[in-house]
Amino acid sequence: MGQIELKGVTKRFGDAEVIPPLDLQINDGEFVVFVGPSGCGKSTLLRLIAGLEDVSGGTINIDGRNATDERPAQRGLAMVFQSYALYPHMSVRKNIAFPLKMAKMSKAEIDAKVDHAAKVLNLSSYIDRRPGQLSGGQRQRVAIGRAIVRSPKAFLFDEPLSNLDAALRVNMRLEISELHNTLKTTMIYVTHDQVEAMTMADKIVVLQAGRIEQVGSPLELYRSPKNRFVAGFIGSPKMNFIGGAEAAKYNAFEIGVRPEHIAVGPTGDWQGRVTVSEHLGSDTFLHVETQHGLINVRAGGEVGVHHGDTVWLTPDRSQMHRFDQQGHAL
Amino acid sequence: MATQASRAAGRLMISPAVIVLFLWMIVPLGMTIYFSFLRYNLLIPGDHAFAGFENYQFFFTDPNFWPALINTLLLVGGVLLITTVGGILLALLLDQPMFGQGIVRVLVIAPFFVMPTVSALVWKNMFMNPVNGIFGWLANVFGVPPYDFLSQAPLLSIILIVAWQWLPFATLILLTALQSLDSEQLEAAEMDGAGPFSRFFHIMLPHLSRAATVVILIQTIFLLSIFAEILVTTNGGPGNASTNLTYLVYSQSLLQYDVGLGSAGGIVAVILANIVAIFLMRMIGKNLEA
Amino acid sequence: MARASTTQRKIVVTVIAWIIALAIFFPILWTILTSFKTEADAIAIPPKFLNFTWTLDNYITVQERSDYFRHFMNSVIISLGSTVLALIVAIPAAWSMAFVPGKRTKDILMWMLSTKMMPAVGVLIPIYLIFRDWGLLDSRTGLIIVLMLMNLPIVVWMLYTYFKEIPGEILEAARMDGASLGKEILYVLTPMAVPGIASTLLLNIILAWNEAFWTLNLTTSNAAPLSTFIASYSSPEGLFYAKLSAASTMAIAPILILGWFSQKQLVRGLTFGAVK
Repeated sequence: MGQIELKGVTKRFGDAEVIPPLDLQINDGEFVVFVGPSGCGKSTLLRLIAGLEDVSGGTINIDGRNATDERPAQRGLAMVFQSYALYPHMSVRKNIAFPLKMAKMSKAEIDAKVDHAAKVLNLSSYIDRRPGQLSGGQRQRVAIGRAIVRSPKAFLFDEPLSNLDAALRVNMRLEISELHNTLKTTMIYVTHDQVEAMTMADKIVVLQAGRIEQVGSPLELYRSPKNRFVAGFIGSPKMNFIGGAEAAKYNAFEIGVRPEHIAVGPTGDWQGRVTVSEHLGSDTFLHVETQHGLINVRAGGEVGVHHGDTVWLTPDRSQMHRFDQQGHAL
Repeated sequence: MATQASRAAGRLMISPAVIVLFLWMIVPLGMTIYFSFLRYNLLIPGDHAFAGFENYQFFFTDPNFWPALINTLLLVGGVLLITTVGGILLALLLDQPMFGQGIVRVLVIAPFFVMPTVSALVWKNMFMNPVNGIFGWLANVFGVPPYDFLSQAPLLSIILIVAWQWLPFATLILLTALQSLDSEQLEAAEMDGAGPFSRFFHIMLPHLSRAATVVILIQTIFLLSIFAEILVTTNGGPGNASTNLTYLVYSQSLLQYDVGLGSAGGIVAVILANIVAIFLMRMIGKNLEA
Repeated sequence: MARASTTQRKIVVTVIAWIIALAIFFPILWTILTSFKTEADAIAIPPKFLNFTWTLDNYITVQERSDYFRHFMNSVIISLGSTVLALIVAIPAAWSMAFVPGKRTKDILMWMLSTKMMPAVGVLIPIYLIFRDWGLLDSRTGLIIVLMLMNLPIVVWMLYTYFKEIPGEILEAARMDGASLGKEILYVLTPMAVPGIASTLLLNIILAWNEAFWTLNLTTSNAAPLSTFIASYSSPEGLFYAKLSAASTMAIAPILILGWFSQKQLVRGLTFGAVK
């Protein structure tokens, strides 16, 4: 079980309201990702759920029980921290055993659980080492191990992959997704990286300035962003925005077209000059200077366009997003 | 940032330290200020009449006051000059690769751990004594008449003793700062064509300036209240030739039992130290934010 | 610089550095050597460097004539007592400032520091009178209290800078793992902070051991620690170089050894973290 419900939760630090009243429903077994730019309040929200910070107002229900005033340990949640927060003076075994020891479990039971977790996470060969002797990825696994032995109602991840290098990050992303498939436990995952959000989440919560901009599945957010912020935040490379007369043609204050929804050809709607073309093999990213500003285009890997070439761009009208003056989607 | 419960625990746990320090600071200081306005001599019983600024007036017009103030400044300035310049040179030397670097470091640091009374006595008797001291012997070897350091140049002698004690402190801190200098910066300067001297003046010295400021300020705090070295070597003499403010206050209050006058002197010393302290606190406070 | 000259250069640097280091260390070395001489050898001209009759008599005489051991124990009790007392008050305070900082934490830290800036002579008279009235003059209790208060700001600051380096996330992890505040401090914070606490202890013992303003002014004989005891050799009748050296050697040896272990922490402690 692991159903979490936030009702009118607010958080103030002094006079600054970091999180205005906020409602959110997280279902049992869901993989929910909080995503947003740094300072958007996503980590604070996670810490409120964990109980590491007091809410300034509202209630937090876990499995239907009001947990607002419970201490972190009473909530039955486990957290994996950005810095891993391993106890440097304890071996891997003792690190993983620590929450069980605090729960006053018998020694035999602790050993069995720790061994099992170590096996699942491929940690058995380092079990007697100290965290200082482990690589980044291994430390990450120990942190996860310490979380899973408690069989928590939900896992909370606070930007767990941001200290890893790019290749390892992709691996750990897969491992966490697999872990979720195996355990089927609720997971709440905080990241500023929209790629992580898109690849891992069942449900993405996009936050900005403490406010929820949109909640939905990755594809919902991709296909029908509610506003300009979500449209610009989700998707890589970023959506192109064009205002002025060109947007007025489509009855909008501003229009948005994703780079992958623009065709390059000898004729088309917009004429421009290629300033940079990045050939990645599978794709080619073109930066094109047009009379509507700089437009990014994602073309096929075999496109033979180079710096200085003049090209014509045609947006796919069925995939075009239109926004009003306030940035709401039309 | 934390929960209310831990904040309450935090306040509870900090209060003993705050309370004892507050009492330690405010009660005696308040009493000193109070005494400084009284006609109060331990040898003259009876009630202590209010004296207004009389004590301050006496203190400032005491023939020993100006010499004491000048001696204090000379003592602080002289030691600072020797330890800072010497400390920078020693730090540069110790930063070079050499054999037995660890032992050299240990030898250089040692004087800092010698208690003031011991170093004063050792220097006074075994080195500066004109008859039995090493310096006297050295003078004989070179055919110069021996020099009675402590009676002919009492303040300079004390400056030398104190500088010997504090040189390790300056060296150690400047060396630590020097070692924190990014070697890539020096390499970049070398690539840019800077020779050893311009590297020292344009990169190392600016990098050391912060640590040097800290050394100067902290030493000043300690040097303003040099006491044991004077008591053990010269008792402030001959005459008042090596009396500093601290020693003057000590002799007025605990030797002449004039509480009122001594208190006024104590307050003057506090004010003098505070002027230095303000600068030091600014530096440390800035560092706290970084 | 031509790389071939590196070894040559290293040798030159080594020679210069050793000469200077030995010159700086010489007074200590000379004191130690003199402590093993007879009084006649101690004042011999020209000075005898190693060609003298080694003797332990001075150490025995110092102990017999002036009860060295009692003063040594006074020093131990006073420096250890004041340090432990300071730690007991400072550890919770530093914990609080490092892990539950409030708006005023910085001000409190700076204020604590400012108390350290006050020259001792400014409060000498009231402390002396209070001690006289309360019968604390020449008592170990009195000195323990004064030295504890004098060094408390340094202890708080040092511990604070050490605690600051322990990431708060680790303590939060312990909280998530179900540890109460007591267990959090016992199982997680303390083991991680032991090196910091140990070096704070060490530095503070050194400072208290060498303190010579309060000890000289507040003690005469009974509670006199070594710094006061040694000062009694400044009177003319105490002018026996070999015995003075023996007493001095015994007074500085323990601290010299402790000090060499704590070189690095010394910088941090004495600069209040301004130089690391």
